[in-house]
Amino acid sequence: MKTDVTVRETLLREIAKCRSCRFCVDVCPTYQASEGVESVSAYGRLQIIKYLLTGVLAFDDPMTYCLYSCLLCRSCETVCKSKGQNLEICELILLGRTLLSGKLAQRGRNATI
Amino acid sequence: MNLGLKQLTRDLANLVGKENAHTDRPTALAYAKDTMPWDVEAHNIPYAVVRPADSRQVSAVLRYANQKKIPVHTHGSGTSLVGLGRPKTNAIVLDTARMQHLRIFPERGYFEVGPGMHLAKLRKALTAHSAMLPVFPGSEPVATIGGSISVNTSAHAVDATLCKPGDYVLGMEVVLPTGEILQTGTESTRRPAGIEATKFLVGSEGLLCVITGIRMRMIPKPRMTNIFALFECTEDILDTVMAMYREGIPTPLFFEYLDEKSSRVGFEAVGLTPPTGAVAMMSMSSATSAGCQEKAEIFLAFLHRQHPLEARIVTDADEWDKIWSSRAEAGNYVYRLGSTFGSEVTPRVDKLREAFKEAKEIILNLDSYKGNEFYSFGHIGAPTIHAYAFIPTKDIPNDIKKAITLEVREKTEALNIKYGGCGGEWGLTAQRAGFLEKKYGRAYYDLLVNLKKAVDPKNILNRGNLEGWM
Repeated sequence: MKTDVTVRETLLREIAKCRSCRFCVDVCPTYQASEGVESVSAYGRLQIIKYLLTGVLAFDDPMTYCLYSCLLCRSCETVCKSKGQNLEICELILLGRTLLSGKLAQRGRNATI
Repeated sequence: MNLGLKQLTRDLANLVGKENAHTDRPTALAYAKDTMPWDVEAHNIPYAVVRPADSRQVSAVLRYANQKKIPVHTHGSGTSLVGLGRPKTNAIVLDTARMQHLRIFPERGYFEVGPGMHLAKLRKALTAHSAMLPVFPGSEPVATIGGSISVNTSAHAVDATLCKPGDYVLGMEVVLPTGEILQTGTESTRRPAGIEATKFLVGSEGLLCVITGIRMRMIPKPRMTNIFALFECTEDILDTVMAMYREGIPTPLFFEYLDEKSSRVGFEAVGLTPPTGAVAMMSMSSATSAGCQEKAEIFLAFLHRQHPLEARIVTDADEWDKIWSSRAEAGNYVYRLGSTFGSEVTPRVDKLREAFKEAKEIILNLDSYKGNEFYSFGHIGAPTIHAYAFIPTKDIPNDIKKAITLEVREKTEALNIKYGGCGGEWGLTAQRAGFLEKKYGRAYYDLLVNLKKAVDPKNILNRGNLEGWM
């Protein structure tokens, strides 16, 4: 089983590959449903995981909502594969959730990375 | 900001509705990052993100921002390649995403569109009316029409064939930084002669106004005939472009090139045999198939006089699709497999060869990084040279990334000054603001500063872009 440190390193390494082309934004159903809020798009979620892991962002309700509202439909991955960095975005979001949910379960609102 | 976040949240919610006023940190951070390869810093993070529905709400936000002295940064899709998309100071980000109205009036010869509509969506809607959208950036799936008109970029198209999108803008609805709503231009397909505000608001890079509506002339979608040519080296393609202008040959709508290395990776990626040499691809346009064919034959005869290894009209749509896609794939290669730092050099046409040689020398002899590779591809017929420094790793510290970006920018801008160009796609403020004074002198830069002051006395809108802040 991967340790938290390994997961953290994997996430940061993979998210660093994103070149912010934002091609994944428009195809995201939650982005569309929100009439265009980028923090609930695939791109926004990757940024949020990165900032959480680097300590810029703290656990809070909006962060949790952004991360857990992803439907894992993989539309973002299709466009990232053809036009972007070929990232497995949903896997990264799942990995982020796995890492964070453990912390949330342990410490609730006082959770830290 | 002399205002608590809770108060700001309440005030903005009153102006645009609670669901369109975001002061949570995740949303602020998502809007802070742009395509620049280094991380967001504390001063880039917005206080809030607002998503107004129309000019009335934009006006209310700007009046409020003036009253409270809070900067406002306009956000389309954040795809600028010179840093226009990143707030340079803590600000309210004004996202245009909800302003996506589209009314097509074939009987009037124009369409009206909101700034937030993505280009791909707009192109699809216009295609149903056999009309062409005169903007062709690589970021088409997500770039907005508002951003494109703000920068006045046609991106990949050849200016000599298509001009700039601003040449098709008949009028606009804009909101001045102080909140006044203006209607400019005409509802006629005849654009105004003489002094008229549309002309200096188009391309003003969000410094003078927020665009809330754009009226553009419908352009009949042209027929196209496509040509592929292989040359021994990139320099031969540059000579061909110079000859094209010198001899007054009809210019293509698109005239792209891939240098020797880019050709190999691009062709390999689309499943074509990698060529030995540099590739040129051209699309000739005309209202009729016969006109297209005639232009293509004239161009092909001209190409044959330039001694290519191969030159031919491509009639197979699948083959052309692969050839055309190879350019995007070359881009994917350098961006996927490493860190890439781009430039935009648009020299006087007769200086293309010298400018390319010097751009290559600059990229291969950077002070901020040793051992990078050189790739080049782009819209050479425009003419634009994109000279890229490619480093086959993503693992480069932030400060080094910033140093490389700035060195590439500064040194290639010096080429634009030396060879009479000023860029043609990416806009001229943010990272390029210093270039303006170097190229045109202090009086010119002061004119822009004074113009900005005249319409935005508190420097509310896109603060830091004209100043060149990072």
